[in-house]
Amino acid sequence: MIQREEAPAVSALPRRRGRAIVITSGKGGVGKTTTTANTGAALAATGATVVLVDADVGLRNLDIVMGLEARVRHHVLDVLEGKATLEEALVTDKRVPALRLLAAAQTREKDDVDTAAFRDLVGSLRERFDYVLIDCPAGIEKGFANAIAGADEAIIVCTPEVSAVRDADRVVGLLGDERSVKLIVNRLRPALVRRGKMLSVDDVNAILRLPLLGVITDAPDVIVSTNRGEPVALDAASSVGASYREIAQRIVGTLSGPPTVPHEKSFFDKLFGSRK
Amino acid sequence: MSARRIVLTSGKGGVGKTTTTANLGAVLAKRGHRVALVDADIGLRNLDLVLGVEKRIVFDLVEVVEGRCQLRQALIKDKRLENLSILPAAQTRDKTAISELQMAKVVQELGELCDFVLIDCPAGIEHGFRNAIAGASEAIVVTTPEVSAIRDADRVIGKLHERGLPVRLIVNRLRPEMVRAGDMLSVEDVTDILSAELLGIIPEDEEVIDTTNKGEPIVLQPDSRLAVIYDKIARRLEGDLVPFTTLRAPGFFGRLFGKAS
Amino acid sequence: MSTVRGRGRNLEIAVDRALGAAAEELRAQFALRPDFYRGSRAVADLGILEPAAAEIAAFRDALAEFGIALDGVSGADAIAPVVAELDLAYLGTAAAADVSALPRPRRQREIRLSEEARSLVADFAGARDDMVRRRVSGPVGVVSPAIASAGVTLPQTARPAIPVGVATLYHRGTLRGGQALHNLGNLVVIGDVNPGAELVASGDIVVFGALRGVAHAGAQGDRGARVIALELAATQLRIATAIASGDVGTKPRGPEHASIAGDRIVVVPFAEADLRKESVAL
Repeated sequence: MIQREEAPAVSALPRRRGRAIVITSGKGGVGKTTTTANTGAALAATGATVVLVDADVGLRNLDIVMGLEARVRHHVLDVLEGKATLEEALVTDKRVPALRLLAAAQTREKDDVDTAAFRDLVGSLRERFDYVLIDCPAGIEKGFANAIAGADEAIIVCTPEVSAVRDADRVVGLLGDERSVKLIVNRLRPALVRRGKMLSVDDVNAILRLPLLGVITDAPDVIVSTNRGEPVALDAASSVGASYREIAQRIVGTLSGPPTVPHEKSFFDKLFGSRK
Repeated sequence: MSARRIVLTSGKGGVGKTTTTANLGAVLAKRGHRVALVDADIGLRNLDLVLGVEKRIVFDLVEVVEGRCQLRQALIKDKRLENLSILPAAQTRDKTAISELQMAKVVQELGELCDFVLIDCPAGIEHGFRNAIAGASEAIVVTTPEVSAIRDADRVIGKLHERGLPVRLIVNRLRPEMVRAGDMLSVEDVTDILSAELLGIIPEDEEVIDTTNKGEPIVLQPDSRLAVIYDKIARRLEGDLVPFTTLRAPGFFGRLFGKAS
Repeated sequence: MSTVRGRGRNLEIAVDRALGAAAEELRAQFALRPDFYRGSRAVADLGILEPAAAEIAAFRDALAEFGIALDGVSGADAIAPVVAELDLAYLGTAAAADVSALPRPRRQREIRLSEEARSLVADFAGARDDMVRRRVSGPVGVVSPAIASAGVTLPQTARPAIPVGVATLYHRGTLRGGQALHNLGNLVVIGDVNPGAELVASGDIVVFGALRGVAHAGAQGDRGARVIALELAATQLRIATAIASGDVGTKPRGPEHASIAGDRIVVVPFAEADLRKESVAL
């Protein structure tokens, strides 16, 4: 899927009113960064222009998951502090030129980010891109507060575990009533759900009560893809990739109706499901 | 004060800090030590859930710090292990509710009541992290064999060294079959990158999620292989030199490839 | 929001807006129970504000309307001379002014539920102090009546169950983990109360939804307070000083009513609840 065309300069992009969506969860390790990367890639594949923003200052990972870490020259703080222009900082994904990345700083702290300035940055990105996806750090501290500033939509990523649901619920409470909040349930293992060893999507949403954007089953190709920097959403053969592509269509609005909750065996279920 | 005050941290969230804190604490208590577990994740508390004591919380860490109750009143004694107590975090507050100094004081006070104080650190390297390491005299960094987790662990180890804390490493959720297939980093890869002393290797186990949901630490199950592994980690913490045993992927008899335990 | 906290018989007021606005806000708050704080002494922390003498005097007068005597003020250095002018103690720049630093002698009292019912916060500490000593663990007891559920007995006269003058806080919407509603009076929530959320009321608590968090009714000692919910599955139920661990995650049993009988919290299906019990204050 490598495209040969050059990406246009940011300043040359026509003005538009884009959507700013923060991907958050409360609990760490549930798949926010992977979801940001893959949803972004899938959105770009529908023809929209997308910019991914890593708000995890000091613990950046979005660039790794996208496979772009070698190409990052400047980061968000450089832009906020005027040491680099947006043009210089944005990294274009050669596989998908409509997709760009604004990386976080690795050797700085979240306290270094001025929330208002970050909000303005998101605002100006919305004028150039159809979608601004903000990868939120774990937790509910300053990093979280920065990440949600400027976003009027949120996607909660939650795994089917009690701790994750509790943390997600806390975050929903903090997001307030003014933002539109939707849910992605990640790493579902239908065989475990059937055996009563894992929460079902209904269990999760009995507490969270959010519109469901998608359900993604657990699969080892996701770990492999994040280690290699190749988002599964770009892999036509990946079923997880297909889930992300569906999510993108729901976000864009070309697909409606509730997401199907998978009942067939996932890869891991086939590997381990026969035990006991 | 001779108590060992150990913070369990990681940088990256979701690698198993809380589960490890609970299980390691349980095993140390089973081995006869008096153990106190502290949840430093104010506002996103989970240690109480994982130990199944959520319904018995009356006072929490913040209230101890604010002087609304005695430390003894807030500590919850585990019903299964008499040597194990938990100091839960507050849920309706946030991490700015206490300072590093206050946290250090509480940990010190706990240290006078027991042999081991294990502090469950929140994800990240912000205020919550600084509070959690404030009272500690040593650190265990928990990581999984994934690039993002290792990168974050590396950052955290740097910060711990700045504070002069000795650091040891637990590699969690290892999948030997994926290591063998080249789809996952090996323990050697991890220790090479992080250059920290290895304390333990814990394999992925699909039963763990269910036990954390139900609040029954897996090491308390009689036939659990993880109980053996955590026990070895406890012995290494006590100072024994315990060899790491090998793990096999299912179906590959006699073949060595990622080491574990 | 300015905050008012109690420590024994005394109040600490942290002001975060111009004094005039803070005074109005506090007036509205105190007006709900005008005599509740009568006889208290207070200190106020003004943070970085530097009001004129007249403003501080007006603030002090506003408190005096409700019988609260302002003894001391903490805040920026610049206000020290102004404060002294008004015959108030200047307590330095400490964020949490120590009431015991006041020149007037003050009796040290342990926080105990039955006597020190001055502020919501102090009471909860007292109530739970008691609870910790008399902790009742184990599942909530469900009392099955001897007679079959032949029908509900309606009360003969409709008497108000709450004393006049106590405000009921009415909240529409689900409470998420980490959120808390505290009220001097009753609490009504239309929506769910998720695990990790907290309801504390001096009166009754009614949840028109699933109560899964922690609920404390009768928090100032009213043993006649009750907790009613469409789905009673609280992580922990507290009424006055009694406490019971809930059973989150069990099958819904329909609307239920919890109240104290003897030393225990007893839960019955709502249709069988006795709603005529008198309120009993300690």
